[in-house]
Amino acid sequence: METIPRYRGAQRRSRNTVVGALSAIVLAAMSMSAQAGVTPDMISTDATTPSDVLTVGMGQSGQRYSSLSKINTQTVVDLVPAWTFSFGDEKQRGQETQPLIYNGKMFITGSYSRLWALDVKSGKKLWAYEHRLPDGIMPCCDVVNRGAALFDDLVIFSTLDAHLVALNQETGKVVWNEKLDDYKAGYSNTAAPLIVKNLIVTGVSGGEFGVVGRVDARDAKTGKLVWSRPTVEGHMGTLNGKDNGITGKTNASWEGDQYKSGGAATWLGCTYGADVDLIYCGTGNPSPWNAHTRPGDNLYSSSTLAIKADTGKIVWSYQSTPHDSWDFDGVNEFIPFDMKKDGKTIKAGAKADRNGFFYVLDRTNGKLLGASPFVSQQTWASGVDMKTGRPIETANRPGDPGKEDKGSSVFAAPSFLGGKNWMPMAYSQNTGLFYVPSNEWGMDIWNEPITYKKGAAFLGAGFTIKPLYEDHIGVLRAMDPATGKIVWEAKNGAPLWGGVMSTAGNLVFTGTPEGYLKAFDAKTGAELWKFQTGSGVVGQPVTWEQDGEQYVAVASGWGGAVPLWGGEVAKKVKDITQGGMLWVFKLHTSKANSVALK
Amino acid sequence: MSRARAALLVCALWCAGSLPAHAATAVDTPVDPLNSPSWQYMRQRFLGKDPMVFDARVQVQMPSAAEDQMQVPVHVSAPGLTDVVDVLVFADLNPLPKILRYQPTSAAPDIGFRFKVEQSTPVRAAMRTRDGVWHVGGAWLRASGGGCTAPSVGTGQGFWQDRLGEISARLWPQQPGLERLRLRMIHPMDTGLAAGIPVFHIDRIDMRASDGRLLASLQTYEPVSENPVISVDLQHSGPVRIDAHDIQGNRFAATVTP
Repeated sequence: METIPRYRGAQRRSRNTVVGALSAIVLAAMSMSAQAGVTPDMISTDATTPSDVLTVGMGQSGQRYSSLSKINTQTVVDLVPAWTFSFGDEKQRGQETQPLIYNGKMFITGSYSRLWALDVKSGKKLWAYEHRLPDGIMPCCDVVNRGAALFDDLVIFSTLDAHLVALNQETGKVVWNEKLDDYKAGYSNTAAPLIVKNLIVTGVSGGEFGVVGRVDARDAKTGKLVWSRPTVEGHMGTLNGKDNGITGKTNASWEGDQYKSGGAATWLGCTYGADVDLIYCGTGNPSPWNAHTRPGDNLYSSSTLAIKADTGKIVWSYQSTPHDSWDFDGVNEFIPFDMKKDGKTIKAGAKADRNGFFYVLDRTNGKLLGASPFVSQQTWASGVDMKTGRPIETANRPGDPGKEDKGSSVFAAPSFLGGKNWMPMAYSQNTGLFYVPSNEWGMDIWNEPITYKKGAAFLGAGFTIKPLYEDHIGVLRAMDPATGKIVWEAKNGAPLWGGVMSTAGNLVFTGTPEGYLKAFDAKTGAELWKFQTGSGVVGQPVTWEQDGEQYVAVASGWGGAVPLWGGEVAKKVKDITQGGMLWVFKLHTSKANSVALK
Repeated sequence: MSRARAALLVCALWCAGSLPAHAATAVDTPVDPLNSPSWQYMRQRFLGKDPMVFDARVQVQMPSAAEDQMQVPVHVSAPGLTDVVDVLVFADLNPLPKILRYQPTSAAPDIGFRFKVEQSTPVRAAMRTRDGVWHVGGAWLRASGGGCTAPSVGTGQGFWQDRLGEISARLWPQQPGLERLRLRMIHPMDTGLAAGIPVFHIDRIDMRASDGRLLASLQTYEPVSENPVISVDLQHSGPVRIDAHDIQGNRFAATVTP
């Protein structure tokens, strides 16, 4: 039977008031039985409510730490699949997503801007949304999506054609659809949106096409723009449709008009420090890659920005790679945490930068507290000056091509794919350590002349990427933020490209391109468990509790930037088969045993 | 909801008092004049247990055979039938039978459109009058097949993404208080049945007077042809505002003046 449009019922009610009143009561009872929806309070306490996962990052700060411990170093050997879900059709490619769990449903995004709602107990598909993408989309680095956001009765995700789409959690019907920017100019969007209070915060992708990065905050219920903050110096911000001050000071660190195609894309989105009410957004490389064409520090590229949630104004910034020549980018997530050091608790935040340094900053003011390498080789800098916060460079920049076709080439490490790329690290409140998915590779890089053309790649550089070691590229590392020391490391043949999660069960979970989801001892790095998922794991694992049991889920499906840019690295990954599958695990409990107990 | 609906239906039958003598009871279905293998199922799916009659006044005019399976022109009308509040058009044997639904609030129950046909099928219009009875008419359309499972033409040519939602429209005043509106919108109207192309279609077109009063409301589904062309007869004089959206939340609007 067709669903009857509401007006039809209304017409009938008007002809008979008794039944009209009756059906009104039934409708009222139905709406009361439904959940009230995801509130800003629920979002802000997500990290401490293990029965749901409301945010990508398992909390606004993105620590990816769970207090659950039924799955632990002792029991993890019994972790077995509970159910799986195939994303279907031919659109496989990279699955970098993170599941969200709420109100008996799992919401999971997939490659090519797809989104599914599943019954979290059985894995049954409840509905699917597949965004109709134009042929001309220009995502630089695979057609991935990194997860959705929940707010009220909505599930909201961004698309490769730079739209933000809000769907009803129950029906999958589109409630609103806002264009973030023009995909034809190179904008796209792959990051998970961040909910802060009643706002939904997004960045933009497109740093390889000379876009201007910015952070937008919208009313999460309606999609209406509240404020916009450009991340390149010289551009005007807005608040409620009115001018809200220029970012930085025009031409203080750029010459001429170059800031107008200055990059600094906020392609990985943002995290939030609720106690200081600051939104932290990493910014990408300045455009073009060829730094000789854009003298100056090029603020606020390759930086972390702290933005006031209510005003959209920048409170502090820290630039990790001034005048970036290597596409080190600075987009990596900044994770607020409370650092215990010398008997004191410091309001800190940490970031493992593409440039190979693990930075610890004061999250209230951006003051540098520590910077230490988390990779084995950094050719471009010997350290970071703790007074100025600037890197101590080693004259490792590629040469100016001048009027030639190609400037002098240099070997630089890390490579432009970074000591760590997009894949989020985790912090354990148990061990006080960060778990960083790092990669050991370098590159030959040289510059070429380049001019800006709308919608065209804006690089002005050539490169080849090279593994630093024969036997491994990926290394999962435990970093002590207080000392900057590496506590343990676990090597992996192929580059690591998946998110990390830590739990109170003293476990660290992450995936590998070789297809495994793995669990490590959080204190020693000993590998305790692994499961072959059938394709490379570049997704972000989560855990939650349901009916007294702890569950773990991760998406499997090889892709991302590595197979597209890989160079010599391709040898390590070229035989990995593609996929598109969600795996859910729980501890094995013997049926016979449970019968016997009764 | 189902309990509430059942109550409403019982009431609808009971309140109506004297049902037309030829109306079917809720469990009995009249013999299908088109002899369609899917009629029973269509009736159950679209009309449920609502009272219905086959009514020759409800006309579906179209070519007897589809020249272009992607663009079959159809005109639905009901001369002599008054008080029509809801119009439903469907094709029994299409993989996605439901074509459109139309509420002619201040308009005649006439609508012209084009649709995609997959194979030979009855095409029917069901019109619900204010007394709750569905009046059903229709005709057979012969077709060689393939209209619903082929990619839209715009997909191959790539122009839909540049011109999505573009509206062309014109009003023809017929007599005082009556005007014909014809509109075309650029939209691929993808059925979701062509490999690798997600379902993507306009799902609502509202036509309003300049003061915002609703004149007519149209819900379009997957089989409506790419770049839909719609003709309606409005009981109205003066400009008409068109508000539309598709299933992915894209919104389109235009105002057309006579």
